[in-house]
Amino acid sequence: MKNKKFNIVIAEPSCIIFEGLSGILGRQNGLQFIIHKADGLSELSQIIQSISVDFVLINPVLVQNQTKLFYSIKKLLPEAYWIAIAYSLFDQQLMSQFDSVITVNDSPSQIADLLAKLLNSRTGAEKEIQTGTLSDRETEVLKLLVTGNSNREIAEKLFISPHTVITHRKNISQKTGIKSVSGLTIFAVVNNIIELDKLNG
Amino acid sequence: MNHRNNLFVTPDVKISEIILNNPYSLLMLEHLGLELAVKDKTVEQVCLENTIGVDLFLTFANLFNGTVPSGNEEYSFKDIQTIIRYLQKEHLYYLDEMYPGILSYIEEMNAVNNHAEIIMVEKFFDEYFNEVKEHLNYENEVVFPYIISLYNKLNTTETKNFSINYSASEYQEHHSNIEEKLTDLKNLLIKYLPQKNDQQIRRKMLFSLFELEYDLNIHTQIENSILIPLVKHLEKHLKLKNEK
Repeated sequence: MKNKKFNIVIAEPSCIIFEGLSGILGRQNGLQFIIHKADGLSELSQIIQSISVDFVLINPVLVQNQTKLFYSIKKLLPEAYWIAIAYSLFDQQLMSQFDSVITVNDSPSQIADLLAKLLNSRTGAEKEIQTGTLSDRETEVLKLLVTGNSNREIAEKLFISPHTVITHRKNISQKTGIKSVSGLTIFAVVNNIIELDKLNG
Repeated sequence: MNHRNNLFVTPDVKISEIILNNPYSLLMLEHLGLELAVKDKTVEQVCLENTIGVDLFLTFANLFNGTVPSGNEEYSFKDIQTIIRYLQKEHLYYLDEMYPGILSYIEEMNAVNNHAEIIMVEKFFDEYFNEVKEHLNYENEVVFPYIISLYNKLNTTETKNFSINYSASEYQEHHSNIEEKLTDLKNLLIKYLPQKNDQQIRRKMLFSLFELEYDLNIHTQIENSILIPLVKHLEKHLKLKNEK
């Protein structure tokens, strides 16, 4: 995960602040960011449809009179961290909606520390998934998958919904780091989940 | 993967400094058709000598260092030529150098470590290489000629209609598939495939895979966040010109 690039959306009307923040984030050692610009909430809601966002840095002014839209976007991004870019005082209730706050007087290293800290709190939870081996059910799904069954066929054979199959597949890929079926086939052979001669072709 | 890549490139930065800061930038120079022995030349000088847009160069250089364009850069239609040339050179680097190189590493691995799984890896990579070729050929034969013909329309008074026969979303999917299998291969090599006498070959292969991945990632970003928007802009411009 070390080389992962994090998607970060900066929703900030001021060009100076936006460029300044992008510059600071771009010059970070360690964490790497892909920076996206949003001029407002509606643009933000478009961005999140095509990419998975890790951080949203947003000027609370953009939220102030559009809290409804804000909440609905926030709901769509349960995994993302919401950080307010504050250059003046805002009311407590509004600020409590954010995971953290950056103020214009923060130093670059303070900003970097803040993002890293938030990330570590999450990767702690992620680690749990990653160190675990495949569950029995996941192994069954994997077996069927690499012997040429489609999601629907797997669902029928295991008496589960196709949606559950997809969830299992997601977890398998997350645990193994392998997404393609052909890659998973090799994984299954290496780990004696399937014998080589049972594979078609 | 990339240490100390915190240099923010501006017009007065020396080319040598860019490379010393992030060796992967060598790939950028090569794809731009720029040669080494850069002396103390700055970005601005080199761009002027080689008729490359400074803004475009800065975007590329900073992309290599991990900064995504803000969208406020000013490119000209002329930059399209530079981008296409860059991508074409990149394709040659993939097809003639990187993929055959990785394939020969796998063959070397097979020779010293004849596990059944390693043979499967060869098959995996063969299939993958074919997918990549298909995609690159599609770009070479359909996408680039289309863009070049659009660009050439700028200087003619031709009013014939042109059709848009590629879709940006299909394009993006191709890319994610290409990068996905590369990650799979890396994980297989690092985490799972049994090792026997092949540590050095495997290390060389992994370095190649990291290099390829680095370049592919930027390739995707150049197409998605610079080329496609620029082409859309050009399409609009030509449409307006035709309506007049």
